[in-house]
Amino acid sequence: MPVLSVEGVGKTYTRGEAPVVAVREVDLFLGKGEFVALTGPSGCGKSTLLHLCGGMDYPTRGRIWLDGSDLGSLDEASLTRIRRRRIGFVFQSFNLLPTLTAVENTALPLMLDGVSPDVARRKATGLLERLGLLHRLDHYPQQLSGGEMQRVGIARAVCHDPLLLLADEPTGNLDSANGADVLELLQELNRSLGVTVLLATHSAEMAAAGQRVLHMVDGGIESETHSRRPIARPDRDNEGG
Amino acid sequence: MFLFRTFILRRIREEKLRALATVLGVALGIAVVLAVRMANQSSVRSFETALEMVAGKTSLEIVGSGSGLREERLLELDWLEQFGQISPVIEGEARASFPSGDREWLKILGVDILRDETFRDYRLVRFAGRQQSPSPREFLELLSDPGAIVLTQKLARRHSLDPGSGLDLDIGDRREALTVRGLLLDRGPARALNGTFALMDIAAAQWLLGRLGRIDRVDLRLKPEISIDRAEAAIAARLPEGLTVQRPSRRGRQVEKMLESFHFNLTALSHIALLVGLFLIYNTVSLSVVTRRREVGILRAVGGSRRQVAGLFLAEAGLLAALGCALGVLLGGWMARGALRLTGSTLDRLYIRSAAEPVALGPEHLVLAFAVGIPLALLAALVPALEASRVAPTEAVRGADRVESRFRLSWRQRWLPPILSTLAVGFACLDSVEGIPLFGYAACLSTVFAVAFLVPVVLHFSGRAGSRLTRRWTGVEALLANANLSGSIPRISISVAALAVSLSMVTAITIMIGSFRETVQYWVEQTLRADLFVAPATRSNVYSESSLSPEVVRVVADNPRVAAVDPFTGFVIDYQGRRVLLGSGDFKVHLDRSGLLIKAPRQGQSAMRTAIGEDAAVVSESFALRHRKAVGDRLVLNTDRGRRGFRVAAVYYDYSSDQGVVVLDRSTFRKYYGDRPPRSLAVYLKDGLDPEGVRAEILAALPLESRVFVHTNASLKAEVLRIFDNTFTITYALEIIAVAVAILGVATTLVTLILDRKPELALLRWAGAEQRQIRKMVIIEAALLGAVSQGLGVVAGILLSLILVFVINVQSFGWTIQFHLPAGFLLQSSLLILLATALSGIYPAYRAGRMPPAREA
Ligand SMILES: Nc1ncnc2c1ncn2[C@@H]1O[C@H](COP(=O)(O)OP(=O)(O)O)[C@@H](O)[C@H]1O
Ligand SMILES: [Mg+2]
Repeated sequence: MPVLSVEGVGKTYTRGEAPVVAVREVDLFLGKGEFVALTGPSGCGKSTLLHLCGGMDYPTRGRIWLDGSDLGSLDEASLTRIRRRRIGFVFQSFNLLPTLTAVENTALPLMLDGVSPDVARRKATGLLERLGLLHRLDHYPQQLSGGEMQRVGIARAVCHDPLLLLADEPTGNLDSANGADVLELLQELNRSLGVTVLLATHSAEMAAAGQRVLHMVDGGIESETHSRRPIARPDRDNEGG
Repeated sequence: MFLFRTFILRRIREEKLRALATVLGVALGIAVVLAVRMANQSSVRSFETALEMVAGKTSLEIVGSGSGLREERLLELDWLEQFGQISPVIEGEARASFPSGDREWLKILGVDILRDETFRDYRLVRFAGRQQSPSPREFLELLSDPGAIVLTQKLARRHSLDPGSGLDLDIGDRREALTVRGLLLDRGPARALNGTFALMDIAAAQWLLGRLGRIDRVDLRLKPEISIDRAEAAIAARLPEGLTVQRPSRRGRQVEKMLESFHFNLTALSHIALLVGLFLIYNTVSLSVVTRRREVGILRAVGGSRRQVAGLFLAEAGLLAALGCALGVLLGGWMARGALRLTGSTLDRLYIRSAAEPVALGPEHLVLAFAVGIPLALLAALVPALEASRVAPTEAVRGADRVESRFRLSWRQRWLPPILSTLAVGFACLDSVEGIPLFGYAACLSTVFAVAFLVPVVLHFSGRAGSRLTRRWTGVEALLANANLSGSIPRISISVAALAVSLSMVTAITIMIGSFRETVQYWVEQTLRADLFVAPATRSNVYSESSLSPEVVRVVADNPRVAAVDPFTGFVIDYQGRRVLLGSGDFKVHLDRSGLLIKAPRQGQSAMRTAIGEDAAVVSESFALRHRKAVGDRLVLNTDRGRRGFRVAAVYYDYSSDQGVVVLDRSTFRKYYGDRPPRSLAVYLKDGLDPEGVRAEILAALPLESRVFVHTNASLKAEVLRIFDNTFTITYALEIIAVAVAILGVATTLVTLILDRKPELALLRWAGAEQRQIRKMVIIEAALLGAVSQGLGVVAGILLSLILVFVINVQSFGWTIQFHLPAGFLLQSSLLILLATALSGIYPAYRAGRMPPAREA
């Protein structure tokens, strides 16, 4: 059973005079542990599609199933719960809360979900250590470099062991060296945690990292290419089996 | 809790100043409300506790028609003994001069000590050099000396007096020398009035107070087995004409009623500052939400629920309000003293001698502060908090340019102002509720909210006008300032509304007071026509019992330069539970010489002439309005000859008392109340004489111990206006606090706007703006905010003043005021406000100027 099924989903914005069709008739299935890249020119609807998959917005057409729930049919509160437990989101502009330290930003989804601050903090610390940020735990975002901020952003996105990690141009605000690091990190997390990743990027180079690459044009998925990279199995499972 | 700590507390710590300003704003609001409440409570409570303490075990009292009853009537009352013990009492006031030069008012109680001992708890601590309590007989001997007076230990200690010390008392227009014969222990009646209580023998007191043969009332202490209700009914049925039985507390309720309007209006006024303080909470939370939309979006994107988001902002409001309330309680306790001093002189002048001590800060006030402050603060924060909870998760990723929505009229701005204005007009047309102008205040509130909702529209259009102006006429700083403000209308609207609202109230009250002053001035001009006015020096208000002695009247009347004398006499009566001044004057002299302003009927002079020698009265406007009497109606008064009806011959304008005055012609008055010494004389001189000269002559001819004020026409007019101005000091004080709180709001808004605009400011600096230019820009922004607020405030203030003058004043005080626009004053205050808001921009300007230029473009 796929982690995420998108069936005939469309999104039309009606703000302003003329309606804008941002996404039209998209079908998309993501299996567990897949790393899929979504690519296309700026404005083709990648972000919109990601928002829909992440339960941040409602589609105007079609259905989105995540882990057995139809996102479009859920109310705001249930959607919030799903976001908090099943989804991780990495933003282009990092979107760290300026008043929270690195470790607090990371632990935020856990704490919002009622995990005790101690436990959440321990988990976040472990994660940041793995990401090489141990010396930055108690720094505020404005004290971090762009690469560091994005790594904290990624840590926050996976801290609560989500099923699905959505990354929208995660390297867009970074120089190429830092960008490469971030991409590697995402691949590493995909391998080690077995989290399904959907990465949106306008760069073909980045997109090549995906096992599957979906090409979007004008709000629709035009074509799909496959690479030979194997689908990730979590390390744990490997060790266990 | 974690979120609250990180999301709210850290932010507060970062913006200490804004938090501090908000807390201070709430604190001032709460403090003002508490202070006024405490001052009001002290004036009523001190009277009531004094009443209770002096009443002792008295259960009922028998009173006469006006001030007291003739002593002989006691003989008709011996049957009262079957209900319990009785004790005749006389009360009076005198101003004591102590050897140190200090002066204090004393309440003098004259009793028959043998009869009175069981009523009141007197304990002499020291008398005639002995240290133990005297027997009643010794007590009586001690008091039988007509020059003997017993003071309280507290007072004696305050002025280092001992038994045997001499004491000068000013009573009416005389000075008398008495000897302190004993000191009362601090209990029973001696606890009343902070010790300013004196005990005398009844006969000596009658002589001292110039009321030989008269007593004030007869106190009755019922036998324990008789129920008070039954006794009251039985006694009322048997009392002879002209006498009434009542409970001592009735006098307390009378005072409470008398002060009701005065207190209500003060309370309403004090709530303006609180309202502005709450606006500040609304302002702070709104700004917090508006400037942190992106952060809220992130919170929502990573799984924060709506409830959590709303809760966060409510918690912020709750925290600030709690701190504000706590500080407000402390401030309030401290400000109560000031409020009491400011209201005290007004109370003395217009109503009753008031307490010197404010009531202590008690748990009641603590509870009041928190129970009012916190729920209202949460309510004020609810709107922005809910708005925050509606922020969509996608707002986290949208560009900053999409956060600030372009200006559009919302349904609230479109529909609420007309609806609220209509409501205001409707409310203004409704009558008062039991003498309290509730609907008048509702009309004011509707107007205020209409103005508040109109603010964004006004900002929008003034911004457009501003951009046209600045593009052509001013420097780059003004242009930028105007553009900045136009670009952040949603953020500044609230602060501008708060400032505009408080300014509108200040404007309204200024116009009201200005109109009132103008009216009083005209009234004084018209009414005070006499050349000289003679009154006892101890006369402090219209209810004071001080009167002139016959020698003084004779000196004045015998002066050959005097053409006519209009003696005014009167006393306070209980008219349907309210204190009303029943007066008498010489209508003929009045008609010939004075210019009493008659409101109704149109032929006032001739109507008044018909009242001479008739059972007819002329009543003041406030009496007519309060008791709903019109010309031709009958009013029933308790006279020495029993209850009598009087025709209302005319209604005249009067601003000396809001409780009402009923005036009878001399002959009518004498017929029903006997001869009473005059309380003041209006003296008309023969043509062309210098009043100063005659005044000097009269003063020289008076007996040496006389204590009399002789005012010339000009000096009395000046005195009236001085008292008038004095009365409104507290009003101005409360207003200034409200404006100060609002200006605090503008300053905090500016600081927030600047923090929020960091990137743009950095860009400006990068593009070559000097620090000086940035600072100038911010100060111009502040002044622009002030200008728009004051403009709106003046317009709204004029509307509010119409409600104050034509609805609230008439309903609560019964005074007609002629509307008058003090244009010069408004212009002055506008300039002042502009200056003050510009000054409030200094700190934000400094903050803005300090920002470093952007490192990358
Ligand atoms: N909130 C919105 N309101 C109106 N139009 C929007 C909104 N968000 C995105 N769009 C429009 O939808 C289209 C797709 O945008 P987006 O999903 O951001 O594309 P991409 O991420 O591929 O650059 C664009 O034309 C964009 O202008
Ligand atoms: Mg995008």
